Amino acid sequence: MVNVNFMNPFVEAAVEVLKAEVQLVPQRGSLSLTKSALTTNDITVLISLVGQVQGVVMYGMSIDTGLELVSRMMGQVFKEFDNLAQSGVAEMGNVITGRATVKLYEGGFSAMISPPTLIQGRDVTISTLDFARIIVPLVTEAGEIVIHLALRESPTGQQDNNFVDLTIPPSSTKS
Amino acid sequence: MNVKYLLPFIEAAYEVLQAEVKCKMQRGELLLEKSHYVTNDLTVIVSMVGDIEGTVFYSMNNKTAMFISSAILGEQLEEMNSIAQSGVAELGNVITGRASVKLSSAGFNSNISPPTLLMGKGAVISTLDYTRLIVPLTGEPGEIIIHLALREGTHKGLSTPNISVPVAPLKK
Repeated sequence: MVNVNFMNPFVEAAVEVLKAEVQLVPQRGSLSLTKSALTTNDITVLISLVGQVQGVVMYGMSIDTGLELVSRMMGQVFKEFDNLAQSGVAEMGNVITGRATVKLYEGGFSAMISPPTLIQGRDVTISTLDFARIIVPLVTEAGEIVIHLALRESPTGQQDNNFVDLTIPPSSTKS
Repeated sequence: MNVKYLLPFIEAAYEVLQAEVKCKMQRGELLLEKSHYVTNDLTVIVSMVGDIEGTVFYSMNNKTAMFISSAILGEQLEEMNSIAQSGVAELGNVITGRASVKLSSAGFNSNISPPTLLMGKGAVISTLDYTRLIVPLTGEPGEIIIHLALREGTHKGLSTPNISVPVAPLKK
């Protein structure tokens, strides 16, 4: 079940980070909800969430937008989407997602984020299977950044897969 | 990338493929990759957070994916539809889950994320500063490559058990 409460922390976090890191004020475009697979833009940063909120968050943008963002972020002009530019974009996704989890925590949902994965390649399909996706386009001077949120509340009992019960004596083994 | 994370994944993959697909897989040569990964037809992406963190990819071509999904579902699938996709994603999920339980017994507690499926050849995936250990497995279904981009976590978040034991004050 998609929870719209999970959306605001990400939008707020993105706005704050974009303002602070690259001096851009994004405008939010119209939201959409879909179950179908996503067709990638040039660049997609993928970060997974585990904990009370689980799923995946993706940030999609064109190469030009990516280059503009890292150029502003690092104070040097990037002409090529090289390793440094890639790590810059991934780091931005990481910072936004991290900030969003702090807000989620304040709202009563704890989650941890995975390291970011960077996917380059247009027209590749990413399926989040039975997680429906909220699509939040953010329009900036540097171009559009699309946030895809495929998140849900973890079913109770599934939040800590490997919780080790302290009452079990150390000699026994769990399979 | 530490090789002690490797064995749980290989064991888990063997066991799951044996149980679900009834196939014995052979391990090919291991490789360590720093460069990008160019995708095959299908890639299942599962992330891990905790004492071990990073991302695991399972990549294969359409033919292998169909073989696996057909075997799991018990019926011959004709096309790579959403049922076939969920079969492959589930395989990645189960293998990673099983590996994380083995890692737990070895003292590394982690949580795994839900799987994401990437379809389309030729996309470039970068795991940034995580080196990837490539484990090719071959067998009747074809070739499945496990990519492990993992390292020991930095405990930024909560860890299990979530009970903090206060540190005894140092005797002066």
